[in-house]
Amino acid sequence: MSLALFAQLELRDRENQPPSCVERNGFCPDWIADNWERYKTPLIEHIELTLISVAIGFVIAFSLALIAHRRRWLIPPITQITGILYTLPSVALFFLLLPLTGRGKTTAIIALVAYSLLIIFRNVITGLDEVPEEARDAGRGMGLTPRQLLWRVELPLALPAIMAGLRIAVTTTVGLTALVFLAGAGGLGEAIFADTQFRSNVVVAGGLCVVLAVVLDLTVLGVQKLITPWTRGVAT
Amino acid sequence: MSSINSAQSEGPSGYRQAVELEFAEATKRYPGTDSAAVDGLSLTVPAGEICVLVGPSGCGKTTAMRMVNRMIDISDGDILVGGKSVKHRNADELRREIGYVIQQIGLFPHRTIADNIATVPRLLGWSKAKINDRVHELLELIGLPSEMATRYPTQLSGGQRQRVGVARALAADPPLMLMDEPFGAIDPINRERLQSEFLRLQAEIRKTIVFVTHDIDEAIRMGDKIAILQVGGKLAQYASPSEILLHPANAFVEDFVGADRALKRLALLRVSDIPRDQLGTANGGPEIAHDTILRDALSDLLQHGELHGRVVDEHGTAIGSLTVETLARLAKA
Repeated sequence: MSLALFAQLELRDRENQPPSCVERNGFCPDWIADNWERYKTPLIEHIELTLISVAIGFVIAFSLALIAHRRRWLIPPITQITGILYTLPSVALFFLLLPLTGRGKTTAIIALVAYSLLIIFRNVITGLDEVPEEARDAGRGMGLTPRQLLWRVELPLALPAIMAGLRIAVTTTVGLTALVFLAGAGGLGEAIFADTQFRSNVVVAGGLCVVLAVVLDLTVLGVQKLITPWTRGVAT
Repeated sequence: MSSINSAQSEGPSGYRQAVELEFAEATKRYPGTDSAAVDGLSLTVPAGEICVLVGPSGCGKTTAMRMVNRMIDISDGDILVGGKSVKHRNADELRREIGYVIQQIGLFPHRTIADNIATVPRLLGWSKAKINDRVHELLELIGLPSEMATRYPTQLSGGQRQRVGVARALAADPPLMLMDEPFGAIDPINRERLQSEFLRLQAEIRKTIVFVTHDIDEAIRMGDKIAILQVGGKLAQYASPSEILLHPANAFVEDFVGADRALKRLALLRVSDIPRDQLGTANGGPEIAHDTILRDALSDLLQHGELHGRVVDEHGTAIGSLTVETLARLAKA
């Protein structure tokens, strides 16, 4: 592994040329244009890790929220447990998990999922709590079963809050995924730390992280607008 | 070849027969309280009539109403809809057969007006075409243009939303409707309009209706019969509006209907309700149209400082004289 890292550090060709942009560790558009390809794999890994983790985190947190929605007493313990997972430094979690799951993507995903649970759980609960009581009462009074009420009235009305949680989860997970190379799971973090001295490298790898976060955030926002047409402007 | 004359949809045709509603010693006791919220309520609402439950806050009127569709469970006694106890019915199925209108309306903000109205028909599994027809029939019935169908509730005014709430409750043509202060959140001017609109609608659809309000004037206006409840959920009196105004059963009812009950009684009658032979021969005074409400006629006489007025029919011909004595007798009678 240390060999591989060492090889990564040798990104540049240091033959006897006058100190070039690359040798000065500068921001070199030419080098970037020529080396674009080398970021493709880390970027794809980064996207995969983010999406898989958020998806799993969403399924778990959403299910927990649905269970806790009907059994309110479960909310505090679930909030506490997911809160601990949230505050646990992810780097520490990687090392805690090493003896159990070893190095690699599994460890990374477990840590990322653990981190996203609180955000999603809390937003689903908040969204469900904010459903207007009269809509619930009218729904019950018209004969919707509890399940119909949940899926046809409560969850649709909670969507804005749920999607807001998803946006926070996605963007923070993109950031955290930059650290999963420490667990040997690749991603853009690995590219960044391959040579933190070389500005071109840092700008491209770091920049891709930022762009990825923004793009994913806007995608979720776009989906939210699409599936909550009633929240758009009142005037016709 | 024009075949315009297709199957005519004649609006709300063939309404389902309204049913009788009976409270039989219906009681609600909440655990941990000694006094009942509703205490042995017994009354029968004949099919097709509006029964107004009225009383001060804490009298259990809303609780009584909500026991009918099992939104609140009955502790003791029973409630019969069309002769059948509601206690052994599946609550969700029961509720789909009973129209439900609440003060806050409770339209689903995420559904269009059409989808809101279609709520119960969808639960009952009607076909798309049938639902669509029904939605447009109801929009017409409540006087909303059909382009409103695709709007969201926030895009409507309070009065329009309230009408949609009524339309939604009527969607599956329930034989019984529960209305909890349906016009309570509407400003006074629009409330009066919605009330008369609803009475016109009811004349057509003839549902059995339980109508809850805290406003005695609204109760007098809307009710075929009024049930006055007092704190502790006891029925103080159950009678027609004029009976309650004439013969309040006890001091509580007397107090609740107000010191102006004589005027309220006059407000129930028009000049044309007075038998001709009780109108004296016309001899001057201010002119009173024969369809004037008696309270307004009295006010008019007082305004002119006169003890009698000249009653005229729709052609302006004098048909008799209305005296303050006659009004006094009617208010007291």
